[in-house]
Amino acid sequence: MSLTNPSLTHLNARGEAHMVDVADKPESRREATASGLIRMQPATLSLLAEGGLPKGDVLATARIAGIQAAKRTHELIPLCHALALSSVAIDFELDENDACVHVSATCRLNGRTGVEMEALTAVSVACLTLYDMCKAVDKDMEIGEIHLDAKTGGKSGDYRRAEPQEARATAPPVIESAPAPIVTGEGATGEVSLGMRCDIADPGIQVKCLAELRERLGVGDVSVPFDRLPSSDVAGLKTALKALDPRFEGLDQGRVMCAVNQVMAGDATPLTDNDEVAFFPPVTGG
Amino acid sequence: MIRVQQAAFDVGDEQRAILTGRSDIGAVVSFTGLVRDFNERPEVQALTLEHYPGMTEAALDEIIKEAEVRWPLQGVTVIHRIGRLAPADPIVLVVVASAHRRAAFEACDFIMDYLKTRAPFWKKEHTATGDYWVSERDGDHHDARRWEIST
Repeated sequence: MSLTNPSLTHLNARGEAHMVDVADKPESRREATASGLIRMQPATLSLLAEGGLPKGDVLATARIAGIQAAKRTHELIPLCHALALSSVAIDFELDENDACVHVSATCRLNGRTGVEMEALTAVSVACLTLYDMCKAVDKDMEIGEIHLDAKTGGKSGDYRRAEPQEARATAPPVIESAPAPIVTGEGATGEVSLGMRCDIADPGIQVKCLAELRERLGVGDVSVPFDRLPSSDVAGLKTALKALDPRFEGLDQGRVMCAVNQVMAGDATPLTDNDEVAFFPPVTGG
Repeated sequence: MIRVQQAAFDVGDEQRAILTGRSDIGAVVSFTGLVRDFNERPEVQALTLEHYPGMTEAALDEIIKEAEVRWPLQGVTVIHRIGRLAPADPIVLVVVASAHRRAAFEACDFIMDYLKTRAPFWKKEHTATGDYWVSERDGDHHDARRWEIST
């Protein structure tokens, strides 16, 4: 077991770099969270909070940069595998007491290799983007404390960083950025689909029934284990829901629409574990 | 600019916000939707608007982007209220700025048609004879289909 005999897996017996063959490793649900921070002048932080910086929406840009970086980690780190990430979430916490922005990234997939490099890369590039977006007003900013917070799944077991947690715990976040969902299109199986999902610690398909449908079925939110689906698509989810609870027969009554990860979808739309699927009646806003 | 909020909005404020500091805008069109006191049943006393947070903003953003592809626009604001509203309350605002009026009129019309058929909002009306969820109108779909481009 690697814990008793730790060795550098990216070096072969001759001490040369090589990419680890993961073809025979079993797939498992992997998740990693990394964090870091960028210190800046209090005035810069205020400008950032007010949206007063010349390059525009700083946090939204840094978030996209972090997500893009996670997806391209294998192009930057020589021996990293290209991974079909199922989810990347970047969060910012503006800390006025310490005059810094805390950045955290969580990456997830079902696969054969860990995603900690993706999470660390996402944090690093989000911090670099924050620097780039703010450098016109503050060149003294400093990026630091980038580290892995936690990692789950895989043979080497779960890891959780022992937190020194100094003064931070006493300083509540002054401004928390709104959890902006970022969702790509429907995507075929195996493609990257990014979205802000439900509770990250709660696996399964997260099903929501909205508006009139919620009242008619008497069900709001329900989680369905992914292995209950006879087929990995919306039609399979409907079959699983009806098997779980006859009230879901109501999904076939009247016009019922569906969104997967907050993008309009249909019966044939493929699903992966942790997807958020909403069912609702035709919209009537305006 | 997209906002989904409970609070009321001020058409003048929003129009000024879109125009401030600009001299390249030749036309600004705004549409305000109001709560009627009659709909599928008479005597609507109030309505409650539900939406799907996250998807709502994404759907509105999609609609605005689509409008920007079709017309040269210099600013778009969409505000939709949620929660409980009374008759005569403003419920939705679309402000569109462009160099010329035709683009502003058409884009505003387009955004409202798409909003009504694509953005995840649902209305529940409270009347003297009970509460009910408003059903979709064929007319809205007919209106939205006017903008379909044959490929």
